[in-house]
Amino acid sequence: MIQMNHIVKRFGGQTVLSDVTFTVKDKEIFGLLGPSGAGKTTIINILTNQLDADGGSHHTGAAMLDTGLMLDTDGLYVRLNCLENLNIFADIYGIPRKKSFEALKKVGLEDAAKKAVNVLSKGMRQRLALARAILHEPKVLFLDEPTSGLDPATARGIHNLIQGLCDNGATVFLTTHNMEEAIKLCNHVALLHRGKIIEQGIPAEICERHNAVKTVPDLEAVFIKLTGVELE
Amino acid sequence: MRSIKALFTKQARDMFRNPAVLVMFIVFPAVAFIMTQLIAKSNDDIPNNMFVTMMAAIFAGMGLVTSSAAVIAEDIERKSLRFLIIAGVKPHQYLIGTGGFFLLAGAVTSVVFALIGDFTGTETLKFLTVMIAGSATSIILGAVIGMLSKNLQAATALSMPIAVIIGFTPMVASFSETVEKYAGILYTQQINVIVNDFSANFTHALMVIGMNIAVLLILFIVIYRKKGLKE
Repeated sequence: MIQMNHIVKRFGGQTVLSDVTFTVKDKEIFGLLGPSGAGKTTIINILTNQLDADGGSHHTGAAMLDTGLMLDTDGLYVRLNCLENLNIFADIYGIPRKKSFEALKKVGLEDAAKKAVNVLSKGMRQRLALARAILHEPKVLFLDEPTSGLDPATARGIHNLIQGLCDNGATVFLTTHNMEEAIKLCNHVALLHRGKIIEQGIPAEICERHNAVKTVPDLEAVFIKLTGVELE
Repeated sequence: MRSIKALFTKQARDMFRNPAVLVMFIVFPAVAFIMTQLIAKSNDDIPNNMFVTMMAAIFAGMGLVTSSAAVIAEDIERKSLRFLIIAGVKPHQYLIGTGGFFLLAGAVTSVVFALIGDFTGTETLKFLTVMIAGSATSIILGAVIGMLSKNLQAATALSMPIAVIIGFTPMVASFSETVEKYAGILYTQQINVIVNDFSANFTHALMVIGMNIAVLLILFIVIYRKKGLKE
């Protein structure tokens, strides 16, 4: 179980997270939604111990080694090929190297296994970063904007993969500003605006609460109603 | 151990595809070879090993600092280090894995220098020992600079002047007794002393280099823990 209790974070004099509290149950997909600059990445950085909070407490219910991470920056070794990038981490985690190829297959990059990272498209790099995050079959997966900037077909593939990981017992925490993605994928969501959680719960129920169900639940309408701000 | 092996292998593959770093291991012995053949061997007033010892000392003091700083700064800039730390890689594992390959490459380059030079058996042994110890110090210094830099550009801007200062201090020291007095604490001065005079106090030189390594290692571990993950 991932928990954040009354988390506060300041950068300089500016408060970027204020009293952030939420719980993510095991084996669910939890979406943190909000526009750019809302504080989504800061929350992931705090949960993965890359940043210290100035107040409150948090835990992820899993050791660091049982955690998979995909950040906005991929951190790949650009002169090495896809397989070599994953093999480094397979060796570090002490898992067989054949898992690297299996992870590449899961993200549909098996044909690009021998391609250097610096010749890959953005979408391919993102899929490779995801392959690295799932390589060691972590219990908890943090995905920062996993489909940002991807074409619909690639994004759909990643959605299916995330759903599959959850079905196999992983807890997935993802950030997005794509409300459709959140409704489609997430069991629970929290809406984040200027560092504060303004609403959280089951996506369809949130939409019903705010009369934002027309033909389908519309989380974006809820966000605009609550904040007056449009998502990019 | 497996993290060290993984990073060592990664560094080996990466270096052969990174001409900016690879060139450092080729250009210094190449220049030493050319100058020895063209100038030293045809001029009786110039000692046969002059260019070998000069280029070897500059390589150990300068070349390895800039290349090691560049590689580590690149890991920080691309956030690769962040993923390694999250995967449980400890500071010493990162340093030994990444720096280990540099040290091996530095040792191979030192052997090339020794082959170009006209050394006796004992001299070769002393030359290689002091070169490898000096290379290790330079790699750790480069790692400290790399860790302190936000990106590759900043690392180059910082490592170049530092490398020039520590690399050329021994040369300045040969003209100034005052500088020589203080330069004695620098590992580059000790490399220079030994490669230019194999009868000099070898144990003292190794002790000074050892102290340089100890100080830089402590610095590296402190900075890695502080800067590796937290911005």
